[in-house]
Amino acid sequence: MNDPKEHDEFAAKAKSTFDESVERLDGAALSRLNQARHVALKNLENAEASANWRRWVPAGGVAAIALVSVLVLRGPEVDSIPGEAAADFEILLEGESLEMFQDLEFYSWIDEAEFSANGNVG
Amino acid sequence: MELIEASTGYFAVSCRREPKTGAGTLQRERQLNQFLAEVERRALRIAQIAVRDRDEALDLVQNAMIKLVNNYASRAEAEWPPLFYRILQNGIRDWHRREKVRNRVMVWFGRGKADDEYDVVAAAPDPAGRSPEEQLQSGQAMQRLETAVHGLPARQREAFMLRTFEGLDVAGTATAMGCSDGSVKTHYSRAVHALREQLGDHWE
Repeated sequence: MNDPKEHDEFAAKAKSTFDESVERLDGAALSRLNQARHVALKNLENAEASANWRRWVPAGGVAAIALVSVLVLRGPEVDSIPGEAAADFEILLEGESLEMFQDLEFYSWIDEAEFSANGNVG
Repeated sequence: MELIEASTGYFAVSCRREPKTGAGTLQRERQLNQFLAEVERRALRIAQIAVRDRDEALDLVQNAMIKLVNNYASRAEAEWPPLFYRILQNGIRDWHRREKVRNRVMVWFGRGKADDEYDVVAAAPDPAGRSPEEQLQSGQAMQRLETAVHGLPARQREAFMLRTFEGLDVAGTATAMGCSDGSVKTHYSRAVHALREQLGDHWE
């Protein structure tokens, strides 16, 4: 039962029996197949247009990544807070330094005095 | 390179694509038309044996045609047969899964599907011009073969139909079934053995 030659003979007979049944397909089935083929081939143009569009997807992706990278690395041109101003801001936020507001004239005078002492007076 | 997942692991189908031009598209359409016209009738009979319903088989073949054109038209022509049958076999497997679920639901509601709705011998004039007796004999032989093939386990049935009916080689059958060459040989050999036991060597 396991002889390859007998296997082949059996397969050949099965094939010829099958082929005969294919030949006996009726007109309705052949017509449906013909229609199905034409429906499928109508999709070829759309499939190719879609494939052309898809071809640009990787390039578009790379361009988008490059653009995002540039934006992230450069960042928007925002005025940065200078170190001294940041220190002042920190002092102002501390509750204990609120007394400073009561002596603003005094601190202003000290500031001017230091400026004059350094010889920076115009 | 595109990889297709198989039950036994991964294997490559191809990385070749044909160049596309306007004239090339027209030529491709002609080639596809010729290819589909060559395989469609055998594909219908193979699907019909697998699902035992001609309308369902026609839908499966049409879906396979559409998917081949949509996804693989740019592939080399030699790759179309295994790809087409792979799509068709996947469709048949999905159909069987859906049927199982549907039948379970129908049984739940007390309406099981009658199993003998299928008419194997189509009432049509014989294009080969044989007498009704010859047709009947041939039809009966096919009916017996068809019943026996349908009774095989799914993978054996696929291997037998693709190798014997469609004439794909082992590698093409392996691609269509999504398994290794060795598995194809095993399934095919078991299928032939089972069919010969059931039908005998000289069934008519």
